[in-house]
Amino acid sequence: MQLNVVYVTVGTTRFDALINSLTSHAVLSVLQARQCHKLIVQHGNSLPLTEIQLKYIEDHFGIQVEQYTFRPNIEDIRAADLIIGHAGAGTCTDILHNGKAGLIVINDELMDNHQVELALQLASEHYMYYCTVDQLSVNIATLAFEALKPYELNPANMQKLITALDDLMKF
Amino acid sequence: MTNTGTQTAYQYPTYVILGSGGHTAEMCKINRALMRQQSQQAQKYQPVRYIVANSDTTSQSILKAALPDTSSQDFINVPRSRSVGQSWLTSIFTTLWALLWSCWLVWRDKPKLVLCNGPGTCVPYCYAAYLWRLLGRLPAHSKIVFVESYCRVETLSLSGRLLLPLADMFVVHWPQLAARYADKQNLRYFGKIM
Repeated sequence: MQLNVVYVTVGTTRFDALINSLTSHAVLSVLQARQCHKLIVQHGNSLPLTEIQLKYIEDHFGIQVEQYTFRPNIEDIRAADLIIGHAGAGTCTDILHNGKAGLIVINDELMDNHQVELALQLASEHYMYYCTVDQLSVNIATLAFEALKPYELNPANMQKLITALDDLMKF
Repeated sequence: MTNTGTQTAYQYPTYVILGSGGHTAEMCKINRALMRQQSQQAQKYQPVRYIVANSDTTSQSILKAALPDTSSQDFINVPRSRSVGQSWLTSIFTTLWALLWSCWLVWRDKPKLVLCNGPGTCVPYCYAAYLWRLLGRLPAHSKIVFVESYCRVETLSLSGRLLLPLADMFVVHWPQLAARYADKQNLRYFGKIM
């Protein structure tokens, strides 16, 4: 599967290791091999890439990088062929509800981060993949993103909750 | 407003406690489902009052976008118990102040239902409702419903642990939690709902 546009997002967290890995030769060359020509980076509270790095990436790998701190990101999500993100619930649900290929990168520096629970659960149900920063390049190169399952939501379940609520209230 | 005998029971509000971004987004989905059901049923939850922390304009705009029928009067602004970066000493006073507010509001409005999904701000409202119901200020049939956060798969949140003993219905999103608390009568699992 071609990954023409890749969106990297870290929400409000600081995840320098992930943002930094985007400047590594290993990651950039596998992105290039997957025909990536645009990288959109929402770096939040992490350190952004420098002008020199941006120019280097464009010149050597033909990948144009657009980076920003925060902005409404629905357009970025829709444009992406792959979303690489931290294990935040917001990122996970954005991936699920927009039918996108997703690769969650676990931040080892955040101990006791309960949000990892959700990413691991969703990965175990084949809705997305996860890895650590070290494994990022190998995973981008080898994962079968087209094999991920679409998220199926049965509206009857929410209805059961509402019915239970009506029953509880005796409405 | 004129109320016939049967409607009187419904004049008490439903309190929906909003928190920060993620919690509010999840609550919007529940609320939309609640308000979209057959109108007669939805009507029984009215009037709905959304509790938002002062200065949390984001939650208010997320909710208004999801439920365009809501007006500014449907929101009750309450003091925030603690702002990010606030010092520990002043936090004690602001938390106490927020606590007093929740007790006062619940006493004043006698909500028939307190519906919340996990932000820390919801805890005092649930305890206040429980307490006032116990003391007879709230009708005995008023209810407290807690929906755990979607991202809780294996363990309950702190709010969840504090409210599991007193919630009339406690909803979880994942089978692991349903299995772990299988002995709790009030704990319910409906499969994936969001």
